[in-house]
Amino acid sequence: MRNPQPESPVLSLGERLPGGDAGAPLTRLFESLRPDLLRFAHWLARDRAIAEDIVQESLLRAWRSREALKDANAARPWLLTIVRREHARLYERKRLELVPLDEVVETHAGEASAQAEDDLFALRHAIMKLPLEYREPLVLQILGGFSTEEIAQELALSSTAVLTRLFRARNKLRVICGLPSAPDAAAGQEQP
Amino acid sequence: MNCEQARLLIGAEPGNASAELAEHLQGCAACATFREETLTLDASIQRALQRPPQLASARRAPLRTWRQWALAASVLLACTATLGVWLLRPTDTLAHELVAHVEAEPDSWLSAQQVTTEGVNEALRSAGVQLDVTSDKITYAHSCWFRGHYVPHLVVQTSQGPATLLILHHETAPAGRRRSFTEAGMSGVIIPAQTGSIALLTRGGDVNLLAQEMQHDMHWLPDAR
Repeated sequence: MRNPQPESPVLSLGERLPGGDAGAPLTRLFESLRPDLLRFAHWLARDRAIAEDIVQESLLRAWRSREALKDANAARPWLLTIVRREHARLYERKRLELVPLDEVVETHAGEASAQAEDDLFALRHAIMKLPLEYREPLVLQILGGFSTEEIAQELALSSTAVLTRLFRARNKLRVICGLPSAPDAAAGQEQP
Repeated sequence: MNCEQARLLIGAEPGNASAELAEHLQGCAACATFREETLTLDASIQRALQRPPQLASARRAPLRTWRQWALAASVLLACTATLGVWLLRPTDTLAHELVAHVEAEPDSWLSAQQVTTEGVNEALRSAGVQLDVTSDKITYAHSCWFRGHYVPHLVVQTSQGPATLLILHHETAPAGRRRSFTEAGMSGVIIPAQTGSIALLTRGGDVNLLAQEMQHDMHWLPDAR
């Protein structure tokens, strides 16, 4: 469910902390990671408002399960995992209407022409257009810093399947960047 | 490892540093090129992912005209500032990274034993560079990973002490001009070369005199990359 007015769940949690600022370090840690989480959720959900909701819900879940976080250094991958699961859960539970990306891009035709020389613009939209099965492991790897084995564990796939998806994701982006498409060395190799 | 396996691994994990892949890349120029392309692509993907596209939202109220102009002016200002930063950044970054690289290998200037011709050739070959280095005073020769490429890292004993030479066949000197720098007690110069550029660093010596000395000892071969 969407909140009528976006608010920082971290701040609202901090205000409700019992015993003053006992949880302040954790609150600050969560807050510092919020931009990363929002960026990550945005790439998964392809919609800023949905991404905001996902992050909000994820931070609440994380706060309730904060006892599970033993090491502050592990907070980022831990929270990213919660965000990914919350994104999957949201789509599973609500069967959200998919964002019609072509329409969205068309809506921004003016912006697109203004940035026609910006290769990154094309690349961003190419990444957005990747099917989730390719986009998700790529974002987990590059933005999340997860290893192939960690992605495989999170997505309940074999390492070979993850390698294949990463290879194919990059192969699609190679073409966008004017590079020749590599022969699909992974054809027939993907095993769930 | 065959080419098919290497491409799959590179396409999935461009930064993979397994010995098996490295061995394959040393003997396969096509796969080495594929990896370079993929690393460059990955750097772009990394940049792209930092900022998701500002997708339109049906919930967004239409902007008023004056706000559109204000937004356009802000964007133009931001682009100008970014362009300015971008134009100024690369050489400073390159110089800084050169100094950091040399500082990370402090033993390179301590070695006094001459490297054999085979050792020098190996350092050059593994980086995909062919040079006719005639100096017999090379005391350190390695192929180092620097800014996404393997580059030859040599230390040459000169009349003014040891000097580090990094052959940057993928780095074009800014505006095709020589650029001197000083940082962390080192002085250096980036010199345009036939292909890419050459960086020379020293502690205490006159870097310009050293550069002249070096250029007598080094000749690009006709088929150098």
